[in-house]
Amino acid sequence: MTKPILRVENLYKKFKDTEVLKGLSLTVDEGEVVVIIGPSGTGKSTLLRCINRLTEPDAGDIYLGEHKIESGKSNLSRIRQQIGMVFQDFNLFNHLTALQNVAIGPVKVKKTDKKKALKLAMKELERVGLADKAQSYPAELSGGQKQRVAIARALAMDPKIMLFDEPTSALDPELIGEVLEVMKDLADAGMTMMVVSHEMGFAREAADRIVFLEDGVVSEMGSPEKIFNNPEKERTREFISKIARLHGGDDLELTYK
Amino acid sequence: MIEHVQFFIKIWPELFKGLVVSLQLSAGALLLGLAIGLPMALMRTYGKGFIKTLAVGYIELIRGTPMIVQLFLIYYGLPDMGILLDRIPAAIIALGINSSAYQAEYFRGAILSIDEGQGKAAQALGMTKQQAIINIILPQALRLVLPPWSNEVIYMVKYTSVAFLIAVPELMARGKMIISWTFKPLETLFWVGVIYVIILSVIAKIVDIIERKLAIPGFQMSRED
Repeated sequence: MTKPILRVENLYKKFKDTEVLKGLSLTVDEGEVVVIIGPSGTGKSTLLRCINRLTEPDAGDIYLGEHKIESGKSNLSRIRQQIGMVFQDFNLFNHLTALQNVAIGPVKVKKTDKKKALKLAMKELERVGLADKAQSYPAELSGGQKQRVAIARALAMDPKIMLFDEPTSALDPELIGEVLEVMKDLADAGMTMMVVSHEMGFAREAADRIVFLEDGVVSEMGSPEKIFNNPEKERTREFISKIARLHGGDDLELTYK
Repeated sequence: MIEHVQFFIKIWPELFKGLVVSLQLSAGALLLGLAIGLPMALMRTYGKGFIKTLAVGYIELIRGTPMIVQLFLIYYGLPDMGILLDRIPAAIIALGINSSAYQAEYFRGAILSIDEGQGKAAQALGMTKQQAIINIILPQALRLVLPPWSNEVIYMVKYTSVAFLIAVPELMARGKMIISWTFKPLETLFWVGVIYVIILSVIAKIVDIIERKLAIPGFQMSRED
């Protein structure tokens, strides 16, 4: 569990005059689940988007395993295939059924045989508990179902690491649980995950490490116990208690069981 | 009443020949407009620098000049440069170029209305930008473009009547000829109008059926019953 799979070194990103990332460094080990928390505007989403180059960083290096992630074309596509990404607003392909949404990545990007891809897609839908919705279009699915299909779509590419960009913040409260449950299963199955989320129940239950981002750098990180119960910095404690009231209940119990 | 119908029966073969030409012009011009318009829309939306400027310039130039000027330029103007076109090809090219600018704008509007996240998600899977456009953006944009595009079909069938100004024997030109033989402008133009109305309703119906066939949940912004 100590082999680093993702290394972010000294990452900088500016949008116009606002410096969002200010020399951020972070390493994720294979099989590790890292939950990233922090006030809005501190670059949590920007960090994820820089990792798969949906956003181009200004400076700094990112490595996936041994490979440096760069924006050269063929290299980039190959790297992105290995990084699953789940978005806040799902971004399912609206003109495709759930099954086609999951299968299109393998078919178009990996050139997998179509029959094989559909079979694989069905397996991934089963994994997120949506085999019965295979023929439904996104408009016919609830938010929670959409996000589970989006997770299946990312998994179908057989990624080495999954990035979750606030996967539950666009969901109605009663739909959050089903998505967190799928994510929890994934974590239990050993998937390497980077999750931007303020779902404290999930963080406490599934995270190996919590990273508190503030002002464009890692302010503090550690095990959930440490961050929740004994943070080093007063600022961390303040923030944790604030979001705990909002997202996790005062006692930080799992909200989705 | 009887004599009106007899008159119609008498002029129908002539008008029918004209109708066929009108439809040929429409189909040719629409296809040409599509073949030029779609690339122009992509160039204007995704192109940079010269490519984008070229597309913007083309679209604004064509939309900014009257169709009749374009038609005359191609039929009467090009021979000066040694390019001689027959009437029908000249009409198809003029109508097609004119239509391409409008079609480009319909396509561009549809492409821009697709949420940016669709392309991002495709790229996150490892698709190149081109793959994302072809597999994700265009299939959605083309569905959205059908309602405005069907208007273009209907405009086009009517616009082909300007081709009579370079003596293409389409429906309107046949009507004009019939008037000069029969001296019955009112009745002749009445029947010409009736034929336009009927053929356009049939076309609208066909487009409607196509829209229904291609309809997908979440994309029913076309026609509500």
